[in-house]
Amino acid sequence: MSGDVAIAARSLTKRYAAVTAVRDLRLTVRRGEIYGFLGLNGAGKTTTIRMLLGLIRPTAGSVEVMGDPVRPGATRFLRRVGCLIESATAYPNLTVRENLELQRRLTEAPQEAVDETIDLMGLGPYAPRRAGDLSFGNRQRLALGRALLHHPDLIVLDEPANGLDPAGIVEIRELLRSLSREHGVTVFMSSHILSEVAQLADRLGIVHQGRLLEELDRGQLEQKMRAFLEIGTPEPDRAEAALAAAGFGDVSAVADGLRLFATKERTPDVARALLQGGIPFTGIAPRKEDLESYFLRLTGGEH
Amino acid sequence: MFPKVLAAEFLKLRHSRVPVVSLLAFSLGPLGLWLFMWIAAEPGRARNLGLIGAKAGLMGLTATWPSFLTMFAEMVGGGGLLLLAFVVAYLFGREYVEGTAKVMLATPAPRHLFVLAKFLVAAVWWACIVTGVLVEAAVIGLGLGLRGFTPALASTALSQTFVLAGVAFLLTTFEGWIAVLGRGYLAPLGFAIGTLALGDLFGHTGWAQWFPWSIMSLLAGTAGPRTSSLPPGSLLVLVLTCILGIAATAAQLRWGDNTQ
Repeated sequence: MSGDVAIAARSLTKRYAAVTAVRDLRLTVRRGEIYGFLGLNGAGKTTTIRMLLGLIRPTAGSVEVMGDPVRPGATRFLRRVGCLIESATAYPNLTVRENLELQRRLTEAPQEAVDETIDLMGLGPYAPRRAGDLSFGNRQRLALGRALLHHPDLIVLDEPANGLDPAGIVEIRELLRSLSREHGVTVFMSSHILSEVAQLADRLGIVHQGRLLEELDRGQLEQKMRAFLEIGTPEPDRAEAALAAAGFGDVSAVADGLRLFATKERTPDVARALLQGGIPFTGIAPRKEDLESYFLRLTGGEH
Repeated sequence: MFPKVLAAEFLKLRHSRVPVVSLLAFSLGPLGLWLFMWIAAEPGRARNLGLIGAKAGLMGLTATWPSFLTMFAEMVGGGGLLLLAFVVAYLFGREYVEGTAKVMLATPAPRHLFVLAKFLVAAVWWACIVTGVLVEAAVIGLGLGLRGFTPALASTALSQTFVLAGVAFLLTTFEGWIAVLGRGYLAPLGFAIGTLALGDLFGHTGWAQWFPWSIMSLLAGTAGPRTSSLPPGSLLVLVLTCILGIAATAAQLRWGDNTQ
């Protein structure tokens, strides 16, 4: 594995009896980048993350994290990894400070790491409070703090924005961005909040039904997101027929009209086709797919 | 690294009510013995106490230190098996019930150290409880004014109690494995009850000294005549059972899928 690769997964497969949760997944995360790992519920994101951290054994394939092979019993690589997996959990009988102290001992972080983390995550007022009495959002902050406490080189986050309020989401986004840009920390994050990932990630991996469908960077994503025209019309069926007659085939129905995959330069032709067909329309607006639309198109829009 | 893992495991118990509750629950045992001794000391009143009085009478109890200490040692052995199952189930099972197993396992500490540390915590916890109920039993015995106390009796009773407490501990490592395998509390408790019943059953057969959970019955005398000392073969079986339980727990954490 080359020195600039933080995570390299090769032909990673996990089967549970008849169910294949992850199949032949190949993934490369470069050091210092923010990698967004996207997929619907049950796509295999969490199973993949667990295999990356050595919590479950792959049925086939291999993983290297920060240059170390992930094997049963191997925990050395975790010195350089911080993680938040699925739900934010903590020892409920311990205070916020004690939960962080526990993590400090197990990661052999310096004494001052606990206070630094409390400040970093804005947990000061909650430090003496038991974790079991925290709100979901503050528990998420605690879990994030635990992941960052020992200054890891790689942070693996499964749904980091869960339970955070809008201000908290922005705060965490800025924190992750600064860790990546200023300290060269690699961030591997899965999220179902696609707008959040779109703003943060340098590269994306889209996983569906256990397979990695696509791995692309921002520039590639920009090129792949298609332009379309949003046509407002009360008669979408007739409009679709008129457009088809004029040679426009890539049309789909949306609320209050149609979506036609075509560039904005084709707007006059589309207007002409509708007028010739006697179709009433309220407007034709050029748009571009966002990550959500692209993701749904790629995964077949299945939920 | 082990001292840090051990310190972390002790820290996990801070503010927890479970250790105190377990001590209070086990301290009910000597109180029950106090009732039996009191009834034995007062046979007239025993006849007026219905079933408890009848049972106490049937057992032919006498209100003496030897009777009291024998019953106390049996309680520590038999009751200890159940209490330790609860302790071990809590130490391992809580990580799954509270969702912290993934937090624990995603740290750089080697996983077998958690297993060793948790069993060491269980041993210290158990030692505190045994010491606590020993003091309680002494106070009860003195309070009742039991007859027949000698220093030799005290020494024998103490060593018998500690042997039974030790045997109970050696038999509980499998509960750790079952808790990790079953990811919770219930499976290890079910396992403990099952092995207790099996131990009693095998205690009446010729295999008693080879079946780990029957050895307790032999020593406590709950399944036939009491064995005064632990046969070397039985000691070997107990030690092997303990080691196997620890190894199975460590192997489960190392090789098993931790999907919680």
